[in-house]
Amino acid sequence: MPSVTIALPALLEPVTGGVRELSASGETLRDVFGNLVRREPRLKPHLFDESGRLREHVLCFHNGVNTRWLDGWDGPVAEGDTVLFMQAVSGG
Amino acid sequence: MAERNFLDLSLLLAKQGPGGKEQRVSVRLLVGTTKGGFWLTSRDRREWKVTGPFFKGWKVTAGLRLSDGRFLAAVASDIYGPAVYATADGRASPDLDSWEQVAEGPAYPEGGDRRLQQIWTLKENRGTLYGGVQEAGLFASADGGRTWVPVPGLNDHETRGGWMPGAGGLCCHALLFSDDPDRMWCGISAVGVFRTDDGGATWVPRNAGVSIVLEDQEHKGIGTCVHGLAQDPSNPNRLYRQDHSGMYRSTDGGDFWERNEDGLPTAFGFPIVIDAGGSALFAVPQESDEHRVPAGGALRVFRSTDRGDSWHSASAGLPSANAWGTVLRGAMCVDDLEPAGVYMGTTSGTMHASSDLGDSWTNLPVTFPRILHVSAWSQ
Repeated sequence: MPSVTIALPALLEPVTGGVRELSASGETLRDVFGNLVRREPRLKPHLFDESGRLREHVLCFHNGVNTRWLDGWDGPVAEGDTVLFMQAVSGG
Repeated sequence: MAERNFLDLSLLLAKQGPGGKEQRVSVRLLVGTTKGGFWLTSRDRREWKVTGPFFKGWKVTAGLRLSDGRFLAAVASDIYGPAVYATADGRASPDLDSWEQVAEGPAYPEGGDRRLQQIWTLKENRGTLYGGVQEAGLFASADGGRTWVPVPGLNDHETRGGWMPGAGGLCCHALLFSDDPDRMWCGISAVGVFRTDDGGATWVPRNAGVSIVLEDQEHKGIGTCVHGLAQDPSNPNRLYRQDHSGMYRSTDGGDFWERNEDGLPTAFGFPIVIDAGGSALFAVPQESDEHRVPAGGALRVFRSTDRGDSWHSASAGLPSANAWGTVLRGAMCVDDLEPAGVYMGTTSGTMHASSDLGDSWTNLPVTFPRILHVSAWSQ
């Protein structure tokens, strides 16, 4: 099963004990997200809301592509892919 | 924060311990801001040592020291949502550098419509912890904050369809308890006060006498906007209420409220606190509900020493001009010493302390981010 590198924003350091980079495996992004929050359950409410979607102001990029532009989370991932979480920034 | 041994030192303040024995104590304040928490510690309530920020970048919205010695802190982010953190152990001097997020904190069900946005207050009563949250609701923990469950009797109340948010959101922000273990009150903006008399199973709005600010077409008894609650320590059914519509008190556990505004320059404000001896109430009037600034740019505290019959300015030492930051509902508190210390932080990030029940104030040499929460502990 492919392993994906996941980068987290600095603001979530207290949640993970200072860890900014994790790995999670899965065949799809949905698998990766599921395995990530199973491994780090405290991250779940900070990345995803009660509906299961990304929180409104959380951005997620899969290999540099905004996941909101994707047709869902069921596309395949490959070994070495990157997933970057960051907060939405609009203006200064 | 290199002061974890601070509480172990021989200190100058004193309070009466068991058997009337004098104890040496210090005072610790938690100042929660929009960008982190700060500790202020003092051995004499005149000189303060500042440490922090911790949870840098997060709002620190509530704090609680548990009976087992641990601290809890509620944090929130507009981006990443809320969480509860706890210090690691319950020793006399807990490691304040070591916080761990509670894994099963307050949470609304997945797939539901409610969103947990912020934890506004944390309280402990008879070994049970309570958290009042936004969107408005109440959660309880029977294991020292490690796991939390909703209180459905309130969260799914029959009037919920008529609950409307105030300017600060739809939030449960005030919790009071009784010597009757089955009785408890909560305050929700902009809904009103609810009371349970059966240990939280059922709740009844208790707002008679309070002007309605947002009337609901269907549900009556709500639509008031409680901003702050205080309780006479010698009589839990004597309640004080800073409401959007004015200042009130109740002598019957909230069955009926009457206005008590004599001497207040305006009846609008947010915090109301009472000292541990029940001798003085404190409030911070604001110019109006539209302007929400100190009237005339003078930061003034009003005090009542006759159970709310009359109010008088107790503002000596506070900025009397060009002070436009005001005090939010959670940003004022008292300690349990004699005479009581009174502490408040403003939306401008200034901190003000009194060590003599409000007779005089010191403006502390700090400028924090906007201050959301201030709580005090002596030890």
